[in-house]
Amino acid sequence: MNYPIWEVHGIGLPWVVGIIAIFHVMISQFAVGGGLYLAVAERKAMKEGRKDWFPLLERHSKFFLILTGVYGTVSGVGIWFAIGLIQPEATSTLIYNFVFGWAIEWVFFLVELTSAIVYYYTWNRIPQALHLKVGWLYAAASVCTLVIINGILSFMLTPGATWLGAAGTGHESSYFWNAFFNPTYWPSLALRSLVCVSLAGVWALVSFSRLDVDEFGASRTQLIRWSTTWLAPAFILMPFMFVWYAAMVPASNKHLLELGMASIGSGSFTQVTRIALMSVMSTATIAGVAYLFAYKYPRDFSPSHATAILVLALAATGSTEYAREAIRKPFVIGSHMYSNSVRVRDVAHLNQVGYLTDSMWAPSGLDATQLDRGRAMFRGECMSCHTVDGYRSMRHFLEGRDFKSIGNILKMLHDYKPDSTYHNFMPPLVGTDEEILALQNYLLTLNATNAPGSVAHR
Amino acid sequence: MAKIYDYLDERLSLSDLKKFGEKKTVPNHKQSFWYYWGGISLLCFLIQLMTGVLLIIYYKPGPDAYNSVRALTYDVDFGWLIRSAHSWAATIFLVSVFVHMFSVYFMKAYRKPREFGWWSGMVLLILGLLFGFSGYLLPMDQLSFVATKVGLAIPENIPLIGHGIANLMRGGMEVSDVTVQRFFAWHAVVLPLLYIPLLVFHLWLVQKHGNAIPPSEEDVPVLERKNIPFFPNFLMKDLAMWLVTLNVIALFASIFPQDIGKVADPLGPAPVGIHPEWYFMSSFETLKLIGKVIPGTIGEAVGITVFTLGLVLWVLIPFYDVKSLAGLRAKRATYFGLLCLGVLIVTTILGYVTV
Repeated sequence: MNYPIWEVHGIGLPWVVGIIAIFHVMISQFAVGGGLYLAVAERKAMKEGRKDWFPLLERHSKFFLILTGVYGTVSGVGIWFAIGLIQPEATSTLIYNFVFGWAIEWVFFLVELTSAIVYYYTWNRIPQALHLKVGWLYAAASVCTLVIINGILSFMLTPGATWLGAAGTGHESSYFWNAFFNPTYWPSLALRSLVCVSLAGVWALVSFSRLDVDEFGASRTQLIRWSTTWLAPAFILMPFMFVWYAAMVPASNKHLLELGMASIGSGSFTQVTRIALMSVMSTATIAGVAYLFAYKYPRDFSPSHATAILVLALAATGSTEYAREAIRKPFVIGSHMYSNSVRVRDVAHLNQVGYLTDSMWAPSGLDATQLDRGRAMFRGECMSCHTVDGYRSMRHFLEGRDFKSIGNILKMLHDYKPDSTYHNFMPPLVGTDEEILALQNYLLTLNATNAPGSVAHR
Repeated sequence: MAKIYDYLDERLSLSDLKKFGEKKTVPNHKQSFWYYWGGISLLCFLIQLMTGVLLIIYYKPGPDAYNSVRALTYDVDFGWLIRSAHSWAATIFLVSVFVHMFSVYFMKAYRKPREFGWWSGMVLLILGLLFGFSGYLLPMDQLSFVATKVGLAIPENIPLIGHGIANLMRGGMEVSDVTVQRFFAWHAVVLPLLYIPLLVFHLWLVQKHGNAIPPSEEDVPVLERKNIPFFPNFLMKDLAMWLVTLNVIALFASIFPQDIGKVADPLGPAPVGIHPEWYFMSSFETLKLIGKVIPGTIGEAVGITVFTLGLVLWVLIPFYDVKSLAGLRAKRATYFGLLCLGVLIVTTILGYVTV
């Protein structure tokens, strides 16, 4: 508890990042795939003498520049703000390890943004061949940003044995490349690249569907049909890449998915599995819908059809990102830091000296009551995933539970036995007996059936 | 494949059907998007029909209602999915029916010769709402019990006959096992028997008169209007929309599966923040607002009368808005539609805010 806790009621802390991230991924991966799309499309138009494509590509590059240059960058900064407030410990670890990684990424960002602006504003102003080179420069810079950020994102799931061996020694950053090229780096890069290419196709469909059929006729139809083919590599290769990715994910992380598959019939412990399956279903639906709407009848393809595909793409992106985040549980950085910001190596120490003892944010002094300390425990150890009344509502979970029953759950989380089901998705509860009793009493007050003031003593 | 087609064609004249589909056209313009909503409603109805049959296999109306739904949700393999799909399909069904109704209204598709399409649609909407109301009680948990009790207060307020109607629906003075039995009979037998033939009639009328074009398209000369063949162009797009809808239902059913609360207790307190389902929220809130201005039984009677009058005007709009040269009535009808839509949205939001 080195940092203050930010309370978000209703949607809770995870969804603050979740909402920003899902929309950001939709745009930022378009920024990567879309750059490639523009360069390839321009090259094709030059090579095949399709001059009628240029005005349409110019319009598309304007749409691309505004969407990625404005929303993409703003939401990217939004993620920084959000994770800094929600998971300060984990963000601090990432910065400590990857500060040069991010520095390199920002260099590519600058090249990316500059070349995107130059690319749009130099249509018909510089020789076509030079214009295409600017397009390739943008595409290369944007691919490099993915190459960098993928190392950091995949590190959070699988830091790798070498880095984990050095964690806590103060020499973690010496193992930058081990952490960067971690076990899931390559399959993750392959999967994300496929998504980038298919999102380039989806957004191009959105962009070209807005053009008037009578004005742009044949070229509009050709580009809509050609954009649909950009979705094909993802749909053909994605299952293989996914199998590769799953093979590289540690067994402990897959346990929750496997548990979900095993109990899918009864529906218990299946939230992650259900959402992962939704990702597969949405992706397959996009293929069917894009074929029926855009490829078969490109002339009739309208903005509402494109919006339908975009919504499905959002569902697919959202469910994939959710599943990816969820299989990391109970960690925020695999096998190193739990989702409540407690480092694995600190558990025994915190159990002995207390979770609140060294915290500058814990209530202290004569005025601090047991309930204040219980609330501080709740804020520190539970609120990174739970809320009082909203998402994963603690009041709802505790409904009908008495003091003893709450104590049993807390004991189970504190003992954290490997065969406990909660071991797969919840971090351990750390702290001394007094602190856990304080939390137990605080949680009792959240239960509507327990009158305020019914604080019990062990 | 060709041989199978030939075999079927010789016996069922499939090629005639194909030719008919190719000859039939659907207008293609900027507002074509609204044509899909009738199809979406139809898909949702079919999903409810299929999932409903699967639910009936395990559901036990009467005293065992709650336990059977509980077992269905937690013990029967994929019971949770079927129940959730049934419930979410119902929600999306009513959303699409409302969108369909308002799009038909603003496209003036109730005018001659489509009046019966409008009237049959209105009856289908009312039956759809009754499907929702009768299905809501069937799990017989505390929430559905209290919500039904509150919901039956609406017909109870109808002057003179209200009390009798409410008692007939309840099977007594209070909501009980008998009510569940009756609601199940309505939900699974009576309403489908009324709904399906009427739906066939409605679809036949759509096929007979074709899709109406919005007033903005009427100004375009006939030769310049764009049309696409129903088969395969529009049908493929309709199927794509069905795929999207199916995906949305699966998404909601997977992420927000239907839970079941505590068993209904007639003496127990109402759950905190209880409110009617969203599709009844507007009428509930309107009655509440009128009740604040005119308290007591008179207020309730006035509320019901205002509501009934609005509904009657809505149903009878084809008699008022006949196409005239001045177009004054058409404008007034559009304003009336906007007013109704506004009231519906505002009172629904207000209902949720003030719960």
